[in-house]
Amino acid sequence: MIDFGLLHLLMAFVGVVVGIVFGALPGMTATMAIAVFLPLTYAYDLHVSLFLLLGLYVGGISGGLVPAILVNIPGTPSSICTGFDGYPMAKRGEAVRALRIGITASLFGGLFSLLLLFLFTPPLARVALSFSSVEKFLIILFALSIIAALSKGNMVTGVFAGFLGVFFSLIGQFADNNRMRMVPDFLSVELRNGFQLLPVLIGLFALVQILQEAEGGMRDDAIGADLSREIRGFRFSDFKGQVVNLFRSAFIGTFVGILPGVGGSAASLLSYSQAKNFSGRPEKYGTGCVDGLVASEAANNGLTGGALIPLLSLGIPGDSTTAVLVGAFMLQGVQVGPLFITNNLDLWHVILSALLLCNFLMFFVMFYPIKYIASVIKLPKYRIFPVIILLCVIGAYSSRNGNMFDVWTMLFFGLLGYFFVKIKLPIVPFLIGFILGKDLEKYFVDSIKGVGGSLSVFFTRPMGWVIWGLIVASIAWAVYDSKREARRAAAGNGGAQA
Amino acid sequence: MFRVSYKPSTSHWLFPPIILGILALLLAVMIAQRAIECRRTGRPFINREAMRFFEPGCDKLKLFGSVALFVLYIYAMEFAGFLASSIVVVFLYSVLFFGVDRLKELPAAIASGRPWANGAFKSVCVSLLLSVLFSTSVWFLFARVFKITLP
Repeated sequence: MIDFGLLHLLMAFVGVVVGIVFGALPGMTATMAIAVFLPLTYAYDLHVSLFLLLGLYVGGISGGLVPAILVNIPGTPSSICTGFDGYPMAKRGEAVRALRIGITASLFGGLFSLLLLFLFTPPLARVALSFSSVEKFLIILFALSIIAALSKGNMVTGVFAGFLGVFFSLIGQFADNNRMRMVPDFLSVELRNGFQLLPVLIGLFALVQILQEAEGGMRDDAIGADLSREIRGFRFSDFKGQVVNLFRSAFIGTFVGILPGVGGSAASLLSYSQAKNFSGRPEKYGTGCVDGLVASEAANNGLTGGALIPLLSLGIPGDSTTAVLVGAFMLQGVQVGPLFITNNLDLWHVILSALLLCNFLMFFVMFYPIKYIASVIKLPKYRIFPVIILLCVIGAYSSRNGNMFDVWTMLFFGLLGYFFVKIKLPIVPFLIGFILGKDLEKYFVDSIKGVGGSLSVFFTRPMGWVIWGLIVASIAWAVYDSKREARRAAAGNGGAQA
Repeated sequence: MFRVSYKPSTSHWLFPPIILGILALLLAVMIAQRAIECRRTGRPFINREAMRFFEPGCDKLKLFGSVALFVLYIYAMEFAGFLASSIVVVFLYSVLFFGVDRLKELPAAIASGRPWANGAFKSVCVSLLLSVLFSTSVWFLFARVFKITLP
């Protein structure tokens, strides 16, 4: 049994509503929402906090469809394909219908991924329980190699960013012998435990976005959308013939969510392209076709459960938002990984219940009052971002119960992240490397210390060979895919020139 | 070769050089890839004309102003505390993001006797009101209700 009361419901509701607002505002994401609201979790226990945080997650992913459909600007990267068909529908006077189709598909995607989370996380965690430090090291290496496999055309850059994140995580004291490394003397107190995760997260995901918006002049691109003109309303029969599309897209979204560092835009794009490939009327895509809208929205909400599977079974975050959730668990002293479910059975049930509740809340909050919800895209950025900065500062400052150095850390990583964006170094692999870096080192050292430093220990266990196989396969796929992309690009250029 | 030297006293320096080595290797691969690509397409390795850090039309005042205000905010919090510094900095951010150049309209708007008809005047007043309202609400919520330590 889990505790559930009015407070839990209220927190889930607040989380969903605030998440929808963050998702609906271009430039603000679910990741930013969770990073900014993490300090609130100090005030409550983890059970109550999870209702808020998962509400922000589900709401943040779902809210992105509003501007995508109404003004053809995806509110979040995961809604990138939603506007392809949603916007043409809105233009021909079917805005409310498109929004409600998207919301319903989102609910399906969320519930489908929740089911897979429920079914696959415990067995995966049981397998992971038998892992020694060798397999744990290799699993983290595998997570980093997947970043390579999915950084289309930027394989080496993605891996470089991941290892750079690992490098930054090593700064500070090494737990095995309590010796400091890579820390200047004048920062030996502040950086004893390295950079704190929360200021790093807020810097990378909130401050970078604010700096980019400032560079762009804080322009509000959203133009008032006309929801009063409605030539065709929503009916649940709009989903007739969409069952296969719904299941396929939700599955793709969940699968992409499982892969570390891939992100929602890949789920939306992959699902949209698969729906188009399998469709008997591909020429209709991009003209206001329900199939495309359903594919994108079922997939991006499929991410929510999918990204939690590797987090709760292996301790590896599936996307940037679940990486921030790691911060919430850490703040409350809970270790995510293979033992999470065994040691925290109540928390596991809370996560499942909260996700279920938040998905339904998202549906009811968005479906009926969608005409009013849609008006949030008209909120001017110059009014919202100053308040976000305020919340960022609180988040960073309170990460160690009041330390101004963490606010400087947030600024440093904000500027570093901005620099990364400029030199096209992806931020998400950097963050995943940063989160996993200390464990990568710990498992590496644990593996070799019992065998006199022999690296052959990584090739002696059968399960290790399986993981090596997966690493080699993902790198081989990365090389193949990279070459295929290059050939496609060359053919495209050739065609264009011809 | 397939062995590393492990000593507990120096084990904190075992892993960082490995990661630095991997980073150096990856950097070399990235440079080699770039060199091959440039050779294939005939583009120069360092193309100064195509290199640009800021986007065209970059609003440098808002960008650098944001960073400068943030630094000011950190110092102000230590000097004046959270609430007072937040009210001032949120107001300054609102004005900065709205457009500092529009402040030029204020003297004329006030002189006209009907300042409310001017958008810039209205925006500055609303910014002032919201900065007080938001900062106080956030301070009350976090510091008083949730008992979270603030500067």
